[in-house]
Amino acid sequence: MLSYYLRLALLSIKRNPILSTLMVAAIAVGIGASMTTITVNYAMGSDPVPHKSDELFAVQVDSWDPNNPFREPNIAPDQMTYMDAMALMKSAPAKRQTAMTKTFAVIEPEDRDVRPFETTGRATYGDFFQMFEPPFLYGNGWSRESDDNLEMVTVLSRETNEKLFGGDNSVGKFVRIGGRNYKVVGVLDHYRPVPKYYDVTNGPFRDPEDYYIPFNLVAAFELSRAGNTNCWKPNNEEGFQGFLNSECVWIQFWAELPTKSEQEDYLAFLNNYANQQKELGRFPRPLNNHIQSVMQWMELQGVVDDGAQVVMWLSIMFLLVCLLNTIGLLLTKFSTKAGEIGLRRALGASKRTLFLQHIIESAMIGVAGGCVGLFLAWGGLQGIGALFGNEVQHLVRLDVTMMFTAILLAIVSALLAGIYPTWRACNIQPAVQLKTQ
Amino acid sequence: MQIRPILSALSRNKTGAILIALQIALTMTIIVNSVFMIQDRRGQMDRASGIDEANTFIYSYSGFAEDFNEKTQIPEDLNYIRQLPGVVDAVQTNSAPLTGGGWSMGLATEQGADADGVGTAIYFVDSHGLDAFGVNLLAGRNFTPDEVIWRERSETKWPGQGIITKELASDMFDGDWQAALGKTVFIAETHPINIVGIVEKMQAPWNGWNGIERTLLFPSQLLFGSGRVMVRTEPGERDRLMREVEEGLVANYDGRLIRRVQSMEEIRENSYRNHNGMNTILTTLIVCLTVITALGIVGLASFSVNRRKKQIGTRRALGARKIDIMRYFMLENFLITSFGVIVGAGMTIGLNMLLVNALDLPKLDWYYVPAGMVVLWLIGQLAVYGPAKKACQISPALATRSV
Amino acid sequence: MLKMSNIKKVFRTEVVETHALRDFSLHVKEGEFVAVTGPSGSGKTTFLNIAGLLETFTDGDYLLDGVDVRNLNDNQRSQLRNEKIGFIFQSFNLIPDLNLFDNVDVPLRYRTMNSKERKERIEHALETVGLVNRMKHIPSQLSGGQQQRVAIARALAGSPRFLLADEPTGNLDSEMAESVMSLLEDINSKGTTIIMVTHDLKLAQRTPRAIAVKDGRVTELSHVVEPVIDIATAKPAMA
Repeated sequence: MLSYYLRLALLSIKRNPILSTLMVAAIAVGIGASMTTITVNYAMGSDPVPHKSDELFAVQVDSWDPNNPFREPNIAPDQMTYMDAMALMKSAPAKRQTAMTKTFAVIEPEDRDVRPFETTGRATYGDFFQMFEPPFLYGNGWSRESDDNLEMVTVLSRETNEKLFGGDNSVGKFVRIGGRNYKVVGVLDHYRPVPKYYDVTNGPFRDPEDYYIPFNLVAAFELSRAGNTNCWKPNNEEGFQGFLNSECVWIQFWAELPTKSEQEDYLAFLNNYANQQKELGRFPRPLNNHIQSVMQWMELQGVVDDGAQVVMWLSIMFLLVCLLNTIGLLLTKFSTKAGEIGLRRALGASKRTLFLQHIIESAMIGVAGGCVGLFLAWGGLQGIGALFGNEVQHLVRLDVTMMFTAILLAIVSALLAGIYPTWRACNIQPAVQLKTQ
Repeated sequence: MQIRPILSALSRNKTGAILIALQIALTMTIIVNSVFMIQDRRGQMDRASGIDEANTFIYSYSGFAEDFNEKTQIPEDLNYIRQLPGVVDAVQTNSAPLTGGGWSMGLATEQGADADGVGTAIYFVDSHGLDAFGVNLLAGRNFTPDEVIWRERSETKWPGQGIITKELASDMFDGDWQAALGKTVFIAETHPINIVGIVEKMQAPWNGWNGIERTLLFPSQLLFGSGRVMVRTEPGERDRLMREVEEGLVANYDGRLIRRVQSMEEIRENSYRNHNGMNTILTTLIVCLTVITALGIVGLASFSVNRRKKQIGTRRALGARKIDIMRYFMLENFLITSFGVIVGAGMTIGLNMLLVNALDLPKLDWYYVPAGMVVLWLIGQLAVYGPAKKACQISPALATRSV
Repeated sequence: MLKMSNIKKVFRTEVVETHALRDFSLHVKEGEFVAVTGPSGSGKTTFLNIAGLLETFTDGDYLLDGVDVRNLNDNQRSQLRNEKIGFIFQSFNLIPDLNLFDNVDVPLRYRTMNSKERKERIEHALETVGLVNRMKHIPSQLSGGQQQRVAIARALAGSPRFLLADEPTGNLDSEMAESVMSLLEDINSKGTTIIMVTHDLKLAQRTPRAIAVKDGRVTELSHVVEPVIDIATAKPAMA
């Protein structure tokens, strides 16, 4: 029976080629537009570490200005002061935790033929590599001892290793970064979390850094920092030490807290710490300390761009217009078939079978529209890639899930559009139709 | 002329009419809000930065060699560039308009922690700054060479003189920008600055900031190990000099890296890349939507013509001229569209209110709504023109045919 | 009133030429009631279309109420149809979405006429056919005979000099056909010229004058002989 319906549907589609094309085009364009924007939003809001996004927490302590919140409405700073970060690193009860900041330096290759080049680096603790689990090509991260002993070690990105060592295993070799020699302990494989959740402050879709070094070296060598710095209180103490002792926030702070009780203990520690600081005259605001899981953090920091969201909703409205269009076209199309339907009714077809016959026709239009729409979405994503450049390259990939979603959305849309016209067509009184034939 | 009969005929075929009207309402909602967002972004992009963008380029340097001595190298580099033929002037600075990264501080007219501050962008320049940026001094004077001081990265003191933009002056002195000249304002709560000059316009580096017109220039040369140099050239000399300056600097000394040699035009393009991209997406959406809606109207109208062939033939037989038939379909479409755009006007304003709340988008200017209505009326009339034309070609002899 | 001389009508497709009318000549005087008969494909409908200015003709002359229609453009022909000719069709051709009042109003809308006069005319026309109390009904709520009477009202509303009826009783049973026929006779008696195309010989014999169309030419039928068939028991000639 199904193959009979499929053949009937195909015949009916062929009978009005222009109308059928119009319907397929309407669904295709609607699916294309909405899938393009949904894909971008989906990638922006996707979970970058699904297997442990509930165990990694961004740590917020509110050390800000008594008169104004860091951000309305009473949102604590997204980064931390050096004083607080050091205090937490020293005694906060986490399985793993790390303070980190973005830095930059010129790397001078051994090979005199390669010109020195400017790079960005991440100054962090050895725990970083176990917490965020970047894949290693060679070697490993560094230990907590290396952090404590101010060892001059580094982990290179795959790209940096390729530039410096032609992709060879460089573990044990030395690299000259910012005029100092560091020993390579590890080389990462391709690593590009989308979003770059552990540092959304400095751009959630930026590339990861070119090298990683121990955080404690920032203070020891007074390294230049590349990231965002916010201050609410003037810093009247001289020198780098003055900066470190200031109320400026510039450090991203993350903790790994796998269990509920660890999370509660950690938060209690933060509140306790804040109260102690209040006694010392710091933390002038009411208690406002939080730990935010990865997805909570993405939400709070507005990682999914407002503009992208608006465009997505507009394109979903656009899909709605395309569906209305299809409903109208199907209605007129089925109305021309009233005679045929009346005849089939008279010859004994039940409403149910007629409904099935016509809904299958709608579904076929949906499948065709979905396939063309998928192609359009692919083109649309290429276009967005070209328009916005490097930062969005990892947002404009159609994965299997999205392709499946697109086809499904197309079929569901077409069925939704088909229900009313089909219902109307099937409720035709057979007698009336035959008489006016 | 025959609105009532058309309405009563429509009321017997409500579904089709309602579908088109809804489509038109949604289309209007999307188009008007999109056009408004496009215009809003365009308005931001059209703002002048205040500097001589056409003839300016900028490069970054970072010293890495052991023997890199910024205190001697910077003046040497600047002197080298300034004497090149075709160069108007050059200056070392921490940032520039449109670059997206910079330094901001609060300025207050009174001393103390509780004084109300106005946020401002800060550029550090020497006495060549005004000339190199190509900004227009409205009142007061430029910095003198002996006012320019060296500044280390962790310096906490501030220079005693400043030049501010007219807009900043106006914001700090209740709209009377001229009053700012010669006054003392305070930075970092306690440090006094004497305002020695006021420039007409010079944007802050962040194009999304609502204080974009508030800028303060300080007479300082930076010893940060890395920084930027801005070069202004004679008209038409920029591209040649971008190459020559880079090559010349490296040839003179290779202990510092010269990178990102970019014209201000490139920087502007990068700066507004998202704006441009978003506008292109919205424009594409508008075009697709218009085409789909118009095609939908064409499709439905064609069918309606086909279904009413007999009726049209009868009307022709009863004395309707071609123009009467044409008018019937155009008027019918006009009525449906009118219903659509009235609903659409409400939805348009509703969506705008949502966007105002969610995204801090400005409120829709009143004329967008009637303009949108007119555009959709036109789209409707154009779309129905073809089918209507076809309808009036139907022969009156059709009335006597029995099928 | 209507004078056709040597009208020729040729339909051309890519492959064939069909001569629908050849040397067709007919003169109908004011106040006449003429029945036109003939078998299917004889050219009756073509004659009707040309007489009613629904179609143009290939050759010949046609004077309608003294107007040479040969060189009129589409708009002029529309106006002439509207003012001088009333149409009655076999399948009524009422507009299904409009009520009776609006249906009768259709031809009047294509004239410059104020709404008061239109209203009077519509009500008068519906009164003539006895349907004035059904003005707000739509056609599908009426029987076939009633629908045809609405169509007649529509034809009368514009007070045409001349009525063209195309198988007016073709879709009706004999009782209804009779009432429609007597309505037409009544209208004719008040001075309106009527040309009625029919393949029903009995109807043709009832009119004062009948012609037959065969192979695109006219033959006058004589009414000298009274019908020998008993009307009450007769079967339609071409059922």
